[in-house]
Amino acid sequence: MIEVKNLRKTFISHRKEPGLKGSLKALFKREKVIKEALKSVSFKIQQGEIVGLIGANGAGKTTLVKILAGIVHPTSGEATILGFKPWERDNNYRRQMSLIMGQKAQVWWDLPALDSFLLLKEIYQIDDFLFKKNIEFLADTLMIKDQLKTQVRKLSLGERMKIELMAALLHQPKVIFLDEPTIGLDISAQKAVREFMRNYQSEFKPITILTSHYMEDIKELCPRIMIIKEGEFVYDGALSEVQKMMGDEKRLTVTTKEKTFKVNVRRSELGSTTSELFKSNDILDLNIHDPSVNDIIESIMNYGIKSP
Amino acid sequence: MKRYLRLYFFFLQFSFSKALEFRIDFFFRIAMDIMYYFVNIALFKILLLHTPLIAGWNEEQMMIFVGCYLLVDAINMTVFSTNMWWLPFYINRGELDYYLIRPVSPLFFLSLREFSANSFINLMIAAVFFFHSLFSYSQDWNLLSLFGLIILLINGSLIYYCIQMLMILPVFWTQSAKGFIDLFYTLGLAMERPDRIFKGWLRVLFTVVLPFGLIASFPARIFIEGFNLQTIFHLILVTSGLWIVVLSVWRKGLKSYSSASS
Repeated sequence: MIEVKNLRKTFISHRKEPGLKGSLKALFKREKVIKEALKSVSFKIQQGEIVGLIGANGAGKTTLVKILAGIVHPTSGEATILGFKPWERDNNYRRQMSLIMGQKAQVWWDLPALDSFLLLKEIYQIDDFLFKKNIEFLADTLMIKDQLKTQVRKLSLGERMKIELMAALLHQPKVIFLDEPTIGLDISAQKAVREFMRNYQSEFKPITILTSHYMEDIKELCPRIMIIKEGEFVYDGALSEVQKMMGDEKRLTVTTKEKTFKVNVRRSELGSTTSELFKSNDILDLNIHDPSVNDIIESIMNYGIKSP
Repeated sequence: MKRYLRLYFFFLQFSFSKALEFRIDFFFRIAMDIMYYFVNIALFKILLLHTPLIAGWNEEQMMIFVGCYLLVDAINMTVFSTNMWWLPFYINRGELDYYLIRPVSPLFFLSLREFSANSFINLMIAAVFFFHSLFSYSQDWNLLSLFGLIILLINGSLIYYCIQMLMILPVFWTQSAKGFIDLFYTLGLAMERPDRIFKGWLRVLFTVVLPFGLIASFPARIFIEGFNLQTIFHLILVTSGLWIVVLSVWRKGLKSYSSASS
């Protein structure tokens, strides 16, 4: 189980004006900038749950994941995962946890994947039988058996992501942090990764926190989502419930000569808003529809939840 | 311990198979290091043309000392240098992440993962010179003192590594590209001088604070002048103190590691 209470993280950096003049000035007087990456976050996740963590760039997703993975120390607050404080980096915790970052490789680039797996076998002390079984299972389900002996840098991006997934799951972790696992992948590779994660989740029942910019990943994998905005949770609940949050709203897609834009409007104000729009713009097209899950989440990410 | 040895065996295997792919680099490094050895040996040979003794050592003894520091340098080039080169980049770019989540000491991983197979040949050349200087020594010595010397030189390599780490680790706070590594290379010349030439505050600096004098000069001195409890005690005290400082700076550094976001 993951239990997080009032977790906070502030980063301190120094502001510098551009150019040589700015650099010289900064040499004598630096302006301190305090950024609150996380402002008191609390939640619980049960074993077997897969939760989508959504937020705009810089909202605090990755900071949260890195604290939970034990990479970054929080400024204050509590977190217990499987009974451990992640940032104490107990080996018994690290042996049961895995982190996959779509943008950072963990396998040796110049070597065939199988070599990296052998090293991981030693690091995680996976016994021979389990190692063989897991390699076979993972390579089969990810359909990557023939690429295990090829140098990793010669593989395609999609194949590399599959290798990364294999590397992260060889030791059958109980807690998985998946940070943007489908970034940069084409549609079919994205689908394959999603399909695999779904099967893996139902077979091994780990706790999984998935962050992604692709709503498809979230919609297909996560019954529960947490939306983070400027370091705070603005929504934590079922994905199916999120639609009700904006049940009162309609979405207008307006196309004028210059641009296309979208606005959310309350049902009761629909008439007045549309006539207002027609008056002030040269409208080519107007579309009124129910907001999709993507629209709603985007709106929550940008504006938070509006009170009815 | 056994597990760490097995892990190290993997690092060796990986590094050798990688090195064989880059042949030009392979030969270039050998040529460069042979030049470095030549310059060092020649320097003292020329000095000794004008004076019979340097810091109390004659030519044979100086060559033993030169053999000692060339050997330590070669060990460090082979075992640590590539890792030390990458470490500041890893810290700055937030690439420590995958090392911190493994159930293995990240310090072990980051310090030893890249074995410079390229420099391995140079290590052999340095070893040949080292043994040559010992076997041409006209005074008696026995296997026990040779064994002692090798242990002390391994300890010297550890000191070299520790000082280097102390110059790199400030990167955690300064976020600069290299930390104070240039300072390390400048002051590092102190390793290539007999410790007796340092007097006063310089002696404190190079035998206690940044103990370059303990890397090769103390071991050579014990081999040449015989076992000396005070020198051994000094070595043990300073080495363990240095190691404790490195570990605590490393831990403090990790605490403030902010891991550049992906």
